[in-house]
Amino acid sequence: MSRTEAAMKKGPPSDWSQVVARVAKHRDYGAGHLWLDLEVPRSFHRPVPGQFVQLLLRAPAPVLLPRPMSIAAVSERGNRRVLGFLYGPVGIGTQALAQHAPGDVLEVLGPLGNGYPLDVPGTPVLVAGGRGVAPLLFAAEVLGRDDRRCEFFFGARNKAALVGLDDAHRQLDRHGGRLHLATDDGSKGMRGTVVDLLERAASRLPQPLVLHACGPHGMLEAVGKWAMRRGSPAFLAMESVMACGTGVCRGCPMPRSASNQARYLATRGDTPSLYGNAEYAMCCTEGPVFSAEDLDWERVD
Amino acid sequence: MPAAKSSLETRKPSVDLSVRIGPMTLANPVLTASGTFGYGDEYAHVMDVARLGGVITKTVTLEPRVGNAPVRIAETPSGMLNSIGLENVGLRRFISEKLPKLRSLGATVVASVGGETPRELERLLEALGPESGIAGFEINFSCPNVSKGGARYWAVPRRLEKTMRRLRPLTRTALIAKLSPDVTSVGDLAIACEQGGADAVTAVNTFVGMAIDLDPLRPKLNRTTGGLSGPSIKPLALARCHECARAVGVPVIGSGGIMNGRDALEFLAVGASAIQVGTVSFIRPRGAIEVLDEMTAFLAERGVKRLEDWRGGLLGNGESSSERRRKAGAGRGKE
Repeated sequence: MSRTEAAMKKGPPSDWSQVVARVAKHRDYGAGHLWLDLEVPRSFHRPVPGQFVQLLLRAPAPVLLPRPMSIAAVSERGNRRVLGFLYGPVGIGTQALAQHAPGDVLEVLGPLGNGYPLDVPGTPVLVAGGRGVAPLLFAAEVLGRDDRRCEFFFGARNKAALVGLDDAHRQLDRHGGRLHLATDDGSKGMRGTVVDLLERAASRLPQPLVLHACGPHGMLEAVGKWAMRRGSPAFLAMESVMACGTGVCRGCPMPRSASNQARYLATRGDTPSLYGNAEYAMCCTEGPVFSAEDLDWERVD
Repeated sequence: MPAAKSSLETRKPSVDLSVRIGPMTLANPVLTASGTFGYGDEYAHVMDVARLGGVITKTVTLEPRVGNAPVRIAETPSGMLNSIGLENVGLRRFISEKLPKLRSLGATVVASVGGETPRELERLLEALGPESGIAGFEINFSCPNVSKGGARYWAVPRRLEKTMRRLRPLTRTALIAKLSPDVTSVGDLAIACEQGGADAVTAVNTFVGMAIDLDPLRPKLNRTTGGLSGPSIKPLALARCHECARAVGVPVIGSGGIMNGRDALEFLAVGASAIQVGTVSFIRPRGAIEVLDEMTAFLAERGVKRLEDWRGGLLGNGESSSERRRKAGAGRGKE
């Protein structure tokens, strides 16, 4: 069953909530990035890797809409849950978020969307591009807790842009698993793209491979096409501009591939309308993790 | 979660908020704007939608629509642009799947319908007329994001009046016309709808707007323009709501940038009989209920017993809206 079909069968998402969150920790993460820990009540449904939340800044804020953000870690602390985020303050919203100090409050809506299907049998191959490492750090931790060894491929422009490299090391040291590095300029690991690295290493890994990736869309397209050529399943965390994050506003369409369209039409009766229509899947409810074969890459923005 | 059977105490407000819109009586003036609340069931797990004055559904068209290509959303200062393009499940699935769910929630349902021609609207009303559980229809005469049958097509008073005349005999439930603000005089459109038999007009839909990326240089939205909503349009919407309330005798439903109870009270003060909340529901799913609770608390604090006593306080000329209506009939408001 494809990722999309699995999502469709599940019914409309209704385990999210909007809660007040308190900044527990906010620290420099290197290379212009920040790590944010938010405490939420335990009533907030426990997220899985690949899911996201909508972070809403309290008024007065320079932005109106909440910011969708992937979850990089989850832990429990007494009767609180702690959600970890790794982000770069690159826009007005994230720059305002970066001003928040421990003790400050904001609002969190989630968990939203569908995470990586880490239970698909095979060797989990986690493929991260730059700050796309965030949900894969979380995935490596969850796999490690289940005593499953993963192969962690991490690529970026240069050594400095391998944000979270130390945490990736720590996760893999603790839980087992191997780190494979690539940089465009060769300043760390292999010189080349993460797909070049996959191409070189794939045959030496225990087959079959199951890829879980996050990064810029260009990288995800390359990873997805590489996986499709060799017949490996690939699950890609996509990004989109969003307003609501819950399927109501219809603002984040992702173009379906022909095969996905055919499956959609066959199962339309069971598919919640929140998931989209024959032409488009909603990134927030049917994604953000999509199977590579379910998207029409010619039309992905 | 507050279920439908919550205690009478919490459900019975100290202020009489009831509102009549033609043949329809709403428990309170807070409605969800079409396209911002799905088909009513999506947020049902975080709020009791039956507490709202009503739920206006996503606009339904005869055939399903897949909507516009991405990018559909752009944030702007204190607002957002959308170019969804009336994506909806179509009439058949609306009747078989969405209406039963809506009925089960106990909400007052207003079905928003959209068409490219008067004939399409007639067919929608003919098909939905026999369905139970629909308290009224809002005709979407003002979608800014479709190439046919959108705001520009319908922004012609004569066309609106003639269309309303054709629709009027098809239903005994409330008939509401949702108007575009991007016209010379929204009051003229409101008068045309009233003369065609509308029970109410909604002022207003989103404003046509644009946002640009500089690098690479291109519009942020795939379809170049979109509909602007959110706090940035509130003063514009308020003025148009006021204009409509002065122009017609039928109730006006105010809409545009209402984010909290105080915003809602401003629209009611300039003559709106009810209000719609939209963008806030994207940001805070419980936004509509919060607007209702804040509004109620504000009125109760000031000892206002009936919403009717608050309404229209700033309509103008020192007259209450009903007095003024009696004098003006269906005629144009005084300048």
